[in-house]
Amino acid sequence: MEFSELIRTGRAQAELLRGPEAPPLRGTLCVTSHHLLLSPGTEASPDLWLLLLRSVDSIEKRVAGDSGTITLRCKDLRVLQLDIEGVEATLDIARSIEGLRLGDAWHFHPPERYYQRVARETNAWRLSEVNEDFSLCPSYPRALIVPRSVDDHALARSAGFRQGGRFPVLSYHHAPNGTALLRSSQPLTGPQKRRCAEDEELLRAVLVGARPGARGFIIDTRSAQAAKQARMTGGGTEAKAAYPGWKRLHRPLERGRPLQESFVRLVEACGDLEQSMDRWLSRLEGCRWLEHVKEALSTACLAAQGMEREGACILVHGAEGTDSTLLVTSLAQLILDPLSRTMDGFQELVEREWIQAGHPFQLRCAHSAFSHARPKHEAPTFLLFLDCVWQLGRQFPLSLEFGEGLLLALFEHAYASPFGSFLCNSEKERGLCEVRTRTHSLWSGLNQPKEQRKLRNPLYALNPLAIWPSVEPQSLRLWQGLFLRWTRPPEPSETAWEKVWQIVTDSEKTEGSA
Amino acid sequence: MGVNLSSMRRLRKRLPLSRQVPRLPPSRVSSMASASAPKCNSHTSENEPVKSTSQDGVNCDLNETVPRLPGETLITDKEVIYICPFNGPIKGRVYITNYRLYLRSLETDSTLIFDVPLGVISRIEKMGGATSRGENSYGLDITCKDMRNLRFALKQEGHSRRDMFEILTRYAFPLAHSLPLFAFLNEEKFNVDGWMVYNPVEEYRRQGLPNHQWRITFINKCYELCETYPALLVVPYRASDDDLRRVAAFRSRNRIPVLSWIHPENKMVIVRCSQPLVGMSGKRNKDDEKYLDVIRETNRQLSKLTIYDARPSVNAVANKATGGGYESDDAYHNAELFFLDIHNIHVMRESLKKVKDIVYPNVEESHWLSSLESTHWLEHIKLVLTGAIQVADKVSSGKSSVLVHCSDGWDRTAQLTSLAMLMLDSFYRSIEGFEILVQKEWISFGHKFASRIGHGDKNHADADRSPIFLQFVDCVWQMSKQFPTAFEFNERFLITILDHLYSCRFGTFLLNCESAREKQKVTERTVSLWSLINSNKEKFKNPFYTKEINRVLYPVASMRHLELWVNYYIRWNPRIKQQQPNAVEQRYMELLALRDDYIKRLEELQLANSSKVSSASTSPSSPSQMMPHVQTHF
Repeated sequence: MEFSELIRTGRAQAELLRGPEAPPLRGTLCVTSHHLLLSPGTEASPDLWLLLLRSVDSIEKRVAGDSGTITLRCKDLRVLQLDIEGVEATLDIARSIEGLRLGDAWHFHPPERYYQRVARETNAWRLSEVNEDFSLCPSYPRALIVPRSVDDHALARSAGFRQGGRFPVLSYHHAPNGTALLRSSQPLTGPQKRRCAEDEELLRAVLVGARPGARGFIIDTRSAQAAKQARMTGGGTEAKAAYPGWKRLHRPLERGRPLQESFVRLVEACGDLEQSMDRWLSRLEGCRWLEHVKEALSTACLAAQGMEREGACILVHGAEGTDSTLLVTSLAQLILDPLSRTMDGFQELVEREWIQAGHPFQLRCAHSAFSHARPKHEAPTFLLFLDCVWQLGRQFPLSLEFGEGLLLALFEHAYASPFGSFLCNSEKERGLCEVRTRTHSLWSGLNQPKEQRKLRNPLYALNPLAIWPSVEPQSLRLWQGLFLRWTRPPEPSETAWEKVWQIVTDSEKTEGSA
Repeated sequence: MGVNLSSMRRLRKRLPLSRQVPRLPPSRVSSMASASAPKCNSHTSENEPVKSTSQDGVNCDLNETVPRLPGETLITDKEVIYICPFNGPIKGRVYITNYRLYLRSLETDSTLIFDVPLGVISRIEKMGGATSRGENSYGLDITCKDMRNLRFALKQEGHSRRDMFEILTRYAFPLAHSLPLFAFLNEEKFNVDGWMVYNPVEEYRRQGLPNHQWRITFINKCYELCETYPALLVVPYRASDDDLRRVAAFRSRNRIPVLSWIHPENKMVIVRCSQPLVGMSGKRNKDDEKYLDVIRETNRQLSKLTIYDARPSVNAVANKATGGGYESDDAYHNAELFFLDIHNIHVMRESLKKVKDIVYPNVEESHWLSSLESTHWLEHIKLVLTGAIQVADKVSSGKSSVLVHCSDGWDRTAQLTSLAMLMLDSFYRSIEGFEILVQKEWISFGHKFASRIGHGDKNHADADRSPIFLQFVDCVWQMSKQFPTAFEFNERFLITILDHLYSCRFGTFLLNCESAREKQKVTERTVSLWSLINSNKEKFKNPFYTKEINRVLYPVASMRHLELWVNYYIRWNPRIKQQQPNAVEQRYMELLALRDDYIKRLEELQLANSSKVSSASTSPSSPSQMMPHVQTHF
């Protein structure tokens, strides 16, 4: 994430009031990565007015009519007032200053940021702040992207009909054909087969918004059997008759304890140096980890195919919608969306689809594979996601802007980190724990220039197409860089990485000096 | 310099820059994508396995339907139904020349479906009879040596397949019909002569031979001492030619211990030979015992000579029944013998057969890893690599000189010595170095290529056939995977070698030994595979190659770190195909070009700088600062 990306407005016309004694200053206001600049018109004093953004202690914005006012209270106790032309400009500048003054990446509000992109692509969606106080859904962020035609009241009703309040929200808008990927939790149909008109309306609105006559698929990440059983405990799945145009598919993905056990067995097998080597392959197979990788990737491919090939909208959910659901939606985006394969795009994807989407990191990553404690909520869902991304990167060596280094770093930080990004289970909890003010964001740590060589893929070249992975077992590999990391000499692969970098940077040097 | 710069810019314009999108025709890319998507996708004919590697260097006339090499003649063509195991039946026209079997689709704008050298064919069977019912049940089933089968269906009327069957049999198995192999008809010309690559005297001189301890002997000039050895041998200085003759009598097929490689510093050596003829009675031979001691004494400080017998000990014992055996402790006091447990050619052949069963035509899905395990292929690879590592380690650590043998010393022995040499000597990791290694340890020392591959021979079930050389190349591939910067060549180089191992287009792998090749005048009458490769080296280069002197490579030979070579063994299956191979290759080519560019640029700067003698250059790209890069890495 570059600082420059936080600068939302290039420039705006503004008047600066510096206090009763100093005369007001009119001119063009600019925000750079570290400074606020006001360059006065030619007729007034030619001096440039400059303010270090870090010296801003608090910021307050007000809008009235078609102009706005920003009040900056500085750490040196100065109070400055900026009158700015244009409401949009005011809000943009305020947000830029807000983001930049911390010098940290906590300003990153992915739903909002992602919404800006969606809004450029289509008018069918809006940003709702119905969950502003987390009362509707404790595991969702404050802002959510929903169909424009559905009002907040209907959202509240739909939330009441979904487990944990996780009503269907937009995960990814596929601009090339206007289809949408949504995620939610299971509907609370229960044994009485309850229905909810607003929930049905919401999904109908999704299809209408995409294209008249569009179809949809609901990918349930549980088996049909398990989904049926969930009715006994109040859950269930969408009844066919209630959601015209939507077809349900069951693609069971392993979750929870079995997944954790698979992980534990794999790590055990990888670390077992005594084990007779001719049994290694069947032992690896017995861990079933690669099978989980295969299932996750195929389900993501199914979702992506539904959008790209069938022109259908896709809703993904399992039970709670905080684990395998996120696995599928995030992988489907990587397959379809070239932007999510960039360094920034991928970080944003992790932030938006995992952290903000309420994957309970604290519960899932409390222990890794060695703990003797009886596992309660631990499950390596996020690790499975990283493994799948690694497989994509292996099959498409040029299409991901980041390399294995970033995936390894995310794995480490998800389990233990000096940064705050993976703390807590949801945005609500992070708010209560004041994570943003009391810790640093992982992204600002990772985006230090010195880290780049380890994290970036020097061979990257933008690939505007969907990347369809091969999911045959022959095409999937054990992620040696992670699972055999401490038992193999890492030098050869590190030298190779360094070598590629060297060729690439040398060639740039040549260009520079030419 | 200005001129140079503008020429560089022109070059740059032609080459896509590092950050640019690889420009592939979109239709092509999306169809590639669709081939790999899981389930519910339909394959288009574009995803057909297309064999392209053997087309290198073909000067084909675009107006002609079939590309032809100079010396290649079209024999016949016929309309057939090709039963593609992946996409179902496709109507096509098959062309048979004296070199290849070539199929064009008659359905979608005559795309090439495949182009297979006849040498690849191992077996031709008729399927169905004149009265068989059912669609496409009458035709031919062709088994290939490169992990695939080709099936054609023909019309039942008028014995239509008889012609095709006879012509194919005739040209695929020319030796059974007193016809020459295509290599002897091939009139291709290359601007490099591959036969010049290997000159034994030069190679031994590179190793610092002869020296005070080792001499070059021409005793085998007329292949009288040992028919299957090369003419030129390196033996201990202290062993007379008469000694050698007496030792030959005690070694299987007279394959006496001779030097393969010597360590440039500690002077430890790798020596190869065949098993001693101990037999049931436990015969001894003083001359052989003395000769091994002479080898040991070429390093004065050594108390023991290490003998690696590649076989499992059970097999070594069993060999006594047929007159063979191994060096016993009683007879050879100053030697230590270890068995390396590598199985014989029959076990390897059956193992590869099992690999084919699980990858072609249908890939085993549900229990892939355990099925793979049950073929034991990777286990054999592991044992071969482990053996080679032990040899290399003994020699490089200066602990001992090493003598390697198996039964006849032309299969497992060749694998072990050549792999150990590859680990020890970085010279062999360059393209030409590797060619020399193959030429020396395999071709000149009589690995029986003709018998193991069965060039032009119809006897597909011959027990002499075995994928020993393929197994060696697989080991090399495993090493190149683990050391991505250590080899000058890329995967395509290895696959090209394997393709021409069977193709019979070049003389390189024909016949069983040097004496037979000399008799047939192979170097005069055929073209070398290295001519093809060395005249177009760029295609076979690894862009990440970093030349290093004196670095010993020890691959990890644990099962955890070995992989099935999917790009070779499962390459015909479009669903398993490596993604974006074109884009990746193109990108690598770009990198190579960039690197060359960089070197050129550097030279310019050096020139410019040396002309300005007095100037204290502070430019960040001053050669003095960049020099270290060059010396260490290029």
